[in-house]
Amino acid sequence: MTLRQKLLLVALCTLALPVAGWLYVRQMETLLREGQAQALVASARALARSLVVVDAPLPPAGAAWYVQQSNVPITVDGYGDDWAPLSAWAQPLDRNARVMLAEDAHWLYFYIDVRAAQRHRADAGDRLALSADHLIVSIASGDDAQRYLLASAAPGPTTAIALDAEAGVLPDRINAQWQEDGGGFHAEFRLPRGLRLDHFGVGVHLGGDGEPLSADNRPLLEFSASLSQELSRLAPDGVRVRVLSPDAWLMAQSGKLQLPDQSLADRPGWLASLIYRSLVAGRLDDAGAWAEDAPRIDLPEVRRALKGKPSTSWRTGEARGSVVLAAAMPITMRGKLHGVVLLEQPSRAVPLLANRALFGLLIVSFGVLLVAGGVLLLFATRLTFRLRRLRNAAERAQDNDGRLDGPFPLIDATDELGDLARSFARLFEVVGGYTDYLRTLASKLSHELNTPLAIVKSSLDNLDHAGLPAEAEPYLARARDGVARLGALVRAMSEATRMERAIAAAEAEDVDMAEIVRGCAEGYRGLAGGRRIQTELPDEPVRMHVSPELIAQALDKLFDNAVSFTPADGWLRIALRPTPDGADIELANQGPPLPAAMQGRLFDSLVSLRDKATPGDAPHLGLGLYVVRLVAERHQGSASARNIDGGVAFTLHLKGMPRQRLA
Amino acid sequence: MARSIAIVEDEPLIRANYVEALNRFGYETRGYGSRGEASTAFAMRLPELVIIDIGLGDEPEGGFDLCRELRAKSATLPIIFLTARDSDFDVISGLRLGADDYLSKDTSLHQLAARIAALFRRIESLKVPASSETVIEHGPLRLESERMRVTWNGTEIPLTVTEFWMVHTLVRFPGHVKNRDQLMREAELVVDDATITSHIKRIRKKFVALAPDFDAIETVHGVGYRWTP
Repeated sequence: MTLRQKLLLVALCTLALPVAGWLYVRQMETLLREGQAQALVASARALARSLVVVDAPLPPAGAAWYVQQSNVPITVDGYGDDWAPLSAWAQPLDRNARVMLAEDAHWLYFYIDVRAAQRHRADAGDRLALSADHLIVSIASGDDAQRYLLASAAPGPTTAIALDAEAGVLPDRINAQWQEDGGGFHAEFRLPRGLRLDHFGVGVHLGGDGEPLSADNRPLLEFSASLSQELSRLAPDGVRVRVLSPDAWLMAQSGKLQLPDQSLADRPGWLASLIYRSLVAGRLDDAGAWAEDAPRIDLPEVRRALKGKPSTSWRTGEARGSVVLAAAMPITMRGKLHGVVLLEQPSRAVPLLANRALFGLLIVSFGVLLVAGGVLLLFATRLTFRLRRLRNAAERAQDNDGRLDGPFPLIDATDELGDLARSFARLFEVVGGYTDYLRTLASKLSHELNTPLAIVKSSLDNLDHAGLPAEAEPYLARARDGVARLGALVRAMSEATRMERAIAAAEAEDVDMAEIVRGCAEGYRGLAGGRRIQTELPDEPVRMHVSPELIAQALDKLFDNAVSFTPADGWLRIALRPTPDGADIELANQGPPLPAAMQGRLFDSLVSLRDKATPGDAPHLGLGLYVVRLVAERHQGSASARNIDGGVAFTLHLKGMPRQRLA
Repeated sequence: MARSIAIVEDEPLIRANYVEALNRFGYETRGYGSRGEASTAFAMRLPELVIIDIGLGDEPEGGFDLCRELRAKSATLPIIFLTARDSDFDVISGLRLGADDYLSKDTSLHQLAARIAALFRRIESLKVPASSETVIEHGPLRLESERMRVTWNGTEIPLTVTEFWMVHTLVRFPGHVKNRDQLMREAELVVDDATITSHIKRIRKKFVALAPDFDAIETVHGVGYRWTP
């Protein structure tokens, strides 16, 4: 893992920032909602009280029959299919019957559906009617009340017979339709709205069980326009107010769930609402049934309010990105529950606010993350770059035998890297100094040795003429020999330095490399003794910008080297191969392979693979291949050695010397 | 009358050896240990040949200054440089001091004597007209062995004794390749190949300086050099 990656990983810590912010935004949102809910509950309480105070026509306490508004025409035929839209809100009676009431402009419709496993049929006029399956229907309008017996022995039209004495406006018979199916029967009838019925009762009696004349009498309820008007006077703005009966039937409604118009730009986009819903909002209930125009608002908060406890809930609104706050408040009058006020306040303010806060936070923290990451990346890049420079300088110095090619980088930096650089620089200074000392030691030494050598030599020369006895002659010759050898040794010692100087001063010309290599190879034939020399040269000339003397000298060194390792009847091979950017000269010879450990150091100064020189030989200081390397490098190339089948191959990769402009 | 030679050399043992040897060869030789000492002596009387060591005591290049002084006094005084390092050859040639020869200190006394004799011979021969049998001519080149003079199209090429002998070796058998050993022997030198190469390079430069299209000395890579007329 690089430094840069590590620092980027560290930069991820800034992610804690948005998380913290997110938690904060959520908390803030919760607080805001809490405040809003409390405000709405207060409004609801005020409204409930004022409804009582202004003596609004509140629904009666206790159970009631609710009359639904019918939008489709209802045919009185005993079949329930035209009741289908209303059947969802059918009101149960006992355990086996359902009652539906509906009204249109002129009529009040009744539909009673009874499930009965066994049937006892009798017509209403029958004596036994009261002990057969029958319905008791009671209606009341003001002070008038009447009961009817509704029964039928067969499906089809039937008539309900009044059971009580005449009662004002109420009819003494009611035409009804009676139908049966496999699991029971249903009756349907209608009464004109002009009767102004206010109570309705129904009793289902199967086979004359219980009180055959009893009926479940309850006040009739319907959506009340007057109460709605009352509500609209009292209701706060921007809130939908509904009054529900104690059974949660819708009695009155005012206001609309409509948000103040917003410009399109202010409306939260789908992303914002998604973010809000997934990240910010607490639990939101589904809009579900409550969104439709249901006559019965059976919601959890309403149920709780009907038990006497004010309650609130948050729902998702119909409009995108909005929420609805609902507050339900029981209406009590003289200790009795008369219904519930349900206030619903649509709001976009909260999610918007929260969204904005969250968005702002997200953007800010993302920006911070980007900036922090960017800064860290820059920092890491710079750090890496500086470290690389340091490393490259160190490696260059290393390749350069500890000599620096210019000032060490970062030496002026004030931080730890600067310290490191300074330490490095000091180290390399020491190493470089030592290397320089070693490097120049040979030439210094040779220089210093030259003078005493000259003394010995000139003394020996003089001794020659001093009239030595004859037996001293051989000693003189030996001394000369020794001095000559010493001289050769001293010359060899300073050779590398001189070569370096000569190589630096070498001048290049455009020549045919093949010509040089061929010439050298011809020259070597006389020196190779019994060894065979093969040449591999390209047919066409290889024009290059080189210093022919240097190339020839390098070849001489390689050849000397090769000959000394080749057995007396072995082979040598000199090859020139053009390459895309220059040429390779390869000198291969039969002989022992190179030890692996020496591969990299072979071309260093003062490295020799040879055994101790045999007496009488020129000393071998391991400078030959070093000179070869210098020559190759002067030609922007390199020298390498490798083991081949049965021998060794040394290769000079040459690219040619850089052309110098003629001044 | 014996010819007078001055040796300016800071190493007393070497100085003594040279002085004695040259005396034995029949020259009247004086040794001087420092530049000041030599300058003082030369102000009195100029010797006929001077051998100067480049490094004089605490002056690493005192010999050069002395050489300049002498050249200012006399344009024809033969001067031989002794150098401790072969690399000084390049330095000296770069300075164009007008010395007649450069020798390294491990040159044997015998070789030194040969050079001294040659220089004196040259001085002698310059006094008389050139004798024709010692003249070699190749096209624009004219080489007078006695006077150690080389001219190219009539212009004199200022060669040192060593350089003259090398050219002489090459020119005597034009077209023949002379390897470095042969050149060394002929020029009475004991140096390594690189020094021979730099000598040849210098010779070429001296020719090219006066004849820009000069290319008569050809390198035969791996073998040596030859004169191609």
